Amino acid sequence: MLKILIEKELKAIILSPKFSATFSVCAILIVLSVFIGLRDYQAAVAQYETATTLSNQEMREQTSWMSLNTRAYREPDPMQIFVAGVQNDVGRLSSINAFSQIKLENSNYSDEPIFAVFRFIDLTFIVQIVLSLFAILFTYDAINGEREGGTLQLTFANAVPRVQYILAKFIGSWLGLVLPLLIPLLIGLLLLLLFRVPMTGDHWAKLFTLIGASFLYFTFFIALGLLVSALTKRSTTSFMFLLVAWVTLVLIVPRAGVMLAGQITPVPTVAEIDGQREGYAKERWKQHMDALTERWEERNAGLQNLTAEEREAFRDDHSWDWMKEDEEERKLVQRDISEYDRKLNEDLRNRKATQERLGFLLSRFSPASSYQLAAMHLAGTDISIKPEYEDAMRDYRDKFISYREQKQKEEGGGMAGGFRIEFNSDTGMKISGDRDSGAIDVTDVPVFEAPQYRFAAGLLPAMPDFGLLTLYTLLAFAAGFVAFLRYDVR
Amino acid sequence: METTSTNEAVTNHAVNSPSQSRAMLAADNLTKRYEDGVLALDHVTFEVNQGHIYAMLGGNGAGKTTTINLFLNFIEPTEGEARINGIVTHKEPLRAKEKIAFVSENVMLYPNFTALQNLDFFARLGGQTGYSKDDYREVLLRVGLQEEAHNKRLKGFSKGMRQKCGIAIAILKDAPAILLDEPTSGLDPKAGFEFIRLLESLRDEGKAILMSTHDIFRARDIADTIGIMNQGRIVMQSQKSDIAGEDLEKLYMKYMAGYMEQVN
Repeated sequence: MLKILIEKELKAIILSPKFSATFSVCAILIVLSVFIGLRDYQAAVAQYETATTLSNQEMREQTSWMSLNTRAYREPDPMQIFVAGVQNDVGRLSSINAFSQIKLENSNYSDEPIFAVFRFIDLTFIVQIVLSLFAILFTYDAINGEREGGTLQLTFANAVPRVQYILAKFIGSWLGLVLPLLIPLLIGLLLLLLFRVPMTGDHWAKLFTLIGASFLYFTFFIALGLLVSALTKRSTTSFMFLLVAWVTLVLIVPRAGVMLAGQITPVPTVAEIDGQREGYAKERWKQHMDALTERWEERNAGLQNLTAEEREAFRDDHSWDWMKEDEEERKLVQRDISEYDRKLNEDLRNRKATQERLGFLLSRFSPASSYQLAAMHLAGTDISIKPEYEDAMRDYRDKFISYREQKQKEEGGGMAGGFRIEFNSDTGMKISGDRDSGAIDVTDVPVFEAPQYRFAAGLLPAMPDFGLLTLYTLLAFAAGFVAFLRYDVR
Repeated sequence: METTSTNEAVTNHAVNSPSQSRAMLAADNLTKRYEDGVLALDHVTFEVNQGHIYAMLGGNGAGKTTTINLFLNFIEPTEGEARINGIVTHKEPLRAKEKIAFVSENVMLYPNFTALQNLDFFARLGGQTGYSKDDYREVLLRVGLQEEAHNKRLKGFSKGMRQKCGIAIAILKDAPAILLDEPTSGLDPKAGFEFIRLLESLRDEGKAILMSTHDIFRARDIADTIGIMNQGRIVMQSQKSDIAGEDLEKLYMKYMAGYMEQVN
């Protein structure tokens, strides 16, 4: 009986115009989206390779360790073809040097704002918006439409158990939606192979899990459609209810959750943080300069009763120690400022994390949010991409600066900032650099290691969202099931 | 002729009471009061044997469709029971439905399916899995649906054509009992005539047929027993032979108007 009912359901869907419409839209959107995503990914890889080559070349051409700086780049990942997430909004590179903070800059959308106006349509968007609408289109009249059409009465004039009927509706609608999705998805996967995208085992695992999450997501809307169809007598009423539910769940709740979290747990703006940072640095440098002036006044005070020759000799004996002492003080100030900056960043991150947790918690009342967050976690394009990359870049900067200082020490001896300063009472002060010594050897310079987004690491934070999607689907189906058991088939 | 004006003493001309025989279709004190308090059916009792047609006559709201819905277990009785081949419908609905076929007032099938596809689905749903396409064609021809329509989608079919498909589905189910809810309503005279002839042939095959209708002339033409319903009650029940000489229209109007005494 169940098989007969499922066959009928599937046949009715396939023969209906909505199936051909769904198939056409899915085929065009998915294939086009994968193709455009592929081309974007390839362009990003080419840009990344050119930029890193250029950066390495610039380092090799440096003649002074003092002026050795570099840039670290965010590596493109094949998963961005399917889940763009925030990867187009987050900067692609950061300068690596002793004087500027790590900050990802030059995002795709800041470089080419036109694409930010009409953002990239990835698989997640197609599933989240288009397929959920189609799921509603497939099911809004699943029960009440048959009642209106008179076929429900004729069906239940036969020995048809209601349990089997509602199951057949569910399975048939599900298959009816999966079919038009599978073919373009397979074409998309073929495109990956055709374009030789470097997909590792982890990438395939992520991709198939993402497809699983997509199926789970629109299964919820099928269950919701059946529920509303079993609660109402007229298909026009159920369509209206479902449209309102869709707008609420897909468009309003995710945004409202984040906005509400912003109101409950405010986070300082970037400008405020920069202001605090600059204020502290200015104050600290002022203290340092005052102390330095005081120290020099004290040093000079001890020379008052000496002859010029004695003063010169005294300075010759002590100037190196004074400079070391001043340099230590300067480094201490630098460390203080860095420490303050680190604390500010940490505080900002903690507050942001609290805000994000609350925002995501509230927005997860929508299956659309759960799906979006699960997809981004799996793909490694969620909002943690920015802090993770910046952390990795900070670590790299530390290594890079240590390396540079080490090299400076090894090759420059008393060099301060790449210049040799010599004091001699006979010849006075002499400043010399190493510019004439040719390019420096950077073959052993540390290489930036990008954070790795492994499948297991992405799956773990996505698990609560998988759980929520399953829960929402089960609840909607159970409610629809109960509603249909009481449904008046006349 | 005997008639009475109360439900407790409805005119019964050689119509068996449910307790006396094992009829194919039996209503025994069947009562339905809806949640809003409306008494749709009030202690209705009748039965239909194999090879008989029972026509329920009555105006809108008389309780004809409620009776059929109770046989189909679309609703449950407040009191009494409906039985199909001895099976109480609200107690064992699935078993009871195996014994019954149903044709509604306005047969609506799947509009995107062809006539053959609709027949195939409903035949299999009715437990008949052994039919071939030729069997379906044969039945469609029997009910008068021309061959060129067999592979056409139902969405272009007229009401008459859909009614023919509906009766074809009932035939294919090969159930011992058939329920028809105003099956000739809206049909043109030719289609109505063909439909009635088809019912006669089904009766001759031994089917027990319960038909609700507004059409007193067709009822007299085809029914073995006629029951007139008013406000949820059977106010008159007679075998065809007992009212052969009567002006059924006049009889009907008087019962419907409540002038029971004048009939006597």
